Amino acid sequence: MALALALAGCDGGLFNRRSAAPTGFLGAQNRQDPALSGNGRLLATVIEQAGGASVVLQEQPGGQVIGLRHLRGHQPQSSPALSWNGRYLAAILQQGPNRVAMVEDRGTGNLIRLPLPGASVPIRLSLAPDGRRIALELVEGGSSRVQVFDLGGQLEPDQPGGLAVLGGGAPPSETNR
Amino acid sequence: MRGPSPRLRQWRQGACLGAITTLLGGCLGGMPMPMAGLNRQLEMAGTTHDPSLSGRWLALIQGRGAREQVMLLDMERQTPVPLPGLNRSDAQPISVSVDSTGERLAVVRQREGRTELVLYRRSLMSLQPIPMQPEGVPRRVNLRADGRQLAVEVSRDGLWQIDLVDLP
Repeated sequence: MALALALAGCDGGLFNRRSAAPTGFLGAQNRQDPALSGNGRLLATVIEQAGGASVVLQEQPGGQVIGLRHLRGHQPQSSPALSWNGRYLAAILQQGPNRVAMVEDRGTGNLIRLPLPGASVPIRLSLAPDGRRIALELVEGGSSRVQVFDLGGQLEPDQPGGLAVLGGGAPPSETNR
Repeated sequence: MRGPSPRLRQWRQGACLGAITTLLGGCLGGMPMPMAGLNRQLEMAGTTHDPSLSGRWLALIQGRGAREQVMLLDMERQTPVPLPGLNRSDAQPISVSVDSTGERLAVVRQREGRTELVLYRRSLMSLQPIPMQPEGVPRRVNLRADGRQLAVEVSRDGLWQIDLVDLP
């Protein structure tokens, strides 16, 4: 308990901190919705651009931007989530008139669309670090609820100690580069 | 005219059933499977939002308006876990993230007119404020699965930025 009180009394000076590395895009930009890979080597954020909100994936701590194969052209994008080694990147995208939850497998280049129950619209998501489950915040009829889905039949596990997936994807472009 | 023998009919029926099962299996194999028991628990909890999955843990915000609270569910036991000292009647959670051991939860919450980022350690039942430096207003937080670092969205001078904070 004494330790708990001591920790609670700390003023935060213990913490090392830094700003996320710049994306390299010109001009001041809002960056939102951060998601770290389990091993800390990748950071996904959402930036605002002329084409709409886009997910940007960067190596840490250097900040090198990594291309995403499938996301381009599906703005606005929101709520990115990364698996342990960054093999899977899940996000909510616009596909035609619909908001859809997708998982990009950066190891194989596949894109997995997650069919949703009824007329529900995905608002936020969280991918388990091993990629075996996904939690979706869904809105239907004005109320929001979280539902969890098993992805064991769709995705191989991305476990700690597995190979990091750093490069790959589409060649860099202005959005999702 | 004699029809096929009963044995042949049986084989054909079996082959048909097998083909249908294979086809259905192929289709259903592409569908994420809802975790029915857990989802029933979540429906009973009412309005829920801002999920965070890690390991066997699901953290989320439950409730509506001023009566919202952080909830942590053990997905293997499909039961909520107590979080003594975290939820307060005068605090409204905005964002939550849990590590893969379920030991650490990073929470952004509003309390007494201020928005603050705190780190909750479950085994110690301790709540540690993480001040924004330079000053800013935090919103969404994401805790790395190993609990050693967090990324937080911070508003400074009208611009949203991302801070990375190492945790001891």
